Amino acid sequence: MENRQWKGTTYGNSGMHRHLIRLLRVLDVRVLYVFSYLFVIPFCLIFNASRRSAWRFYRNGLHQGFFRAAWSVYANHCRFAEVVIDRFAMYAGKRFRIVVDGRDEFERRAAGEDGFLHLSSHIGNYELAGYSLGSEKKTIYAVVFADEKATVMEGRGRMFGRNNVKMIALREDMGHLFEIDEALSGGHIVTFPSDRMMGEGKSLSAAFLGRTARFPQGPFRVAVMRGVDVLAVNVMKEGWTGYHVYVTPLPYDRTLPKKEQVDTLLREYVAQLEKCIRRYPTQWYNFFDFWA
Amino acid sequence: MEALIEELKKQIIEALNLEELTPEDIDADAPLFGDGLGLDSIDALELIVILDKKYGIRLSSPAEGKEIFKNVRSIAEYVQKARKK
Repeated sequence: MENRQWKGTTYGNSGMHRHLIRLLRVLDVRVLYVFSYLFVIPFCLIFNASRRSAWRFYRNGLHQGFFRAAWSVYANHCRFAEVVIDRFAMYAGKRFRIVVDGRDEFERRAAGEDGFLHLSSHIGNYELAGYSLGSEKKTIYAVVFADEKATVMEGRGRMFGRNNVKMIALREDMGHLFEIDEALSGGHIVTFPSDRMMGEGKSLSAAFLGRTARFPQGPFRVAVMRGVDVLAVNVMKEGWTGYHVYVTPLPYDRTLPKKEQVDTLLREYVAQLEKCIRRYPTQWYNFFDFWA
Repeated sequence: MEALIEELKKQIIEALNLEELTPEDIDADAPLFGDGLGLDSIDALELIVILDKKYGIRLSSPAEGKEIFKNVRSIAEYVQKARKK
């Protein structure tokens, strides 16, 4: 069984990443897509354990038949290759066609005085949201894994800097918590990946696609302790170079006991995650046994 | 000081949903993190919010937080010195 934890870093070394960025300045992304479908993904499927967790996801999670699940595993890896290429293409200066559902939900809160949370998931390509959901009044603080490769962090820094987005790296000490709290109490926006456990932190349980899965407590408890609004934001790939951003408010009754507020938020988050992944089944990128 | 320690214990139980505990179960000198109460970093954030909302104290650095959140007594000593409410 694969480790339940994700190592928090993109595959490849910094030299490879820089080379890819240089290449994408001159090449159309579609050339690299096709190259990866034909020459990279087949090898990944043979040598990488991700095929097993993807297979379990399609067979046991989405209850697909044998042949459909086999195709989904291949299509899922191809989509993943595309979003990784797209991310580096953005670092190389390329732009994508983006449609936003629920922009008014974001803009109304962005124009107000209070801070709020974006809960993201490892589906689609969330980093695109940083380019489409900007705010002049508020800074967006993106919580990211501290061990990510330098090239990815540099690329993010460059692109996010232009869009009033700053990064908060998750660290072993409590530094990131001060930054998250300061950002929210200062009326800014904090984005939090909310579907994946990091380290040995405490978890919450919820039924996801019919079976009990663990989710990190952090994002949901932070929202409740500060009493801020919460939006789920999913950025899903459509066609070759298009992305569809879904902004969904997650309501919770702030007069209830804290535990019930946290449970309500988690239920709402899981419901929208299920809805989205049923609509875009090949864009699930948690390559470990999600229900372990 | 003892009244403040008691008050803090009640707030910690409420904020961290430790319903199975009573204030008497929490040793004021026992570590809050690791082997003691077993709190984690998100719990630390709850404590930061308690200090802010209830006592008007805003911590400025993680290093400061580490010292203050050693145990309930160290929090109480800090609150007594720095409280604005």
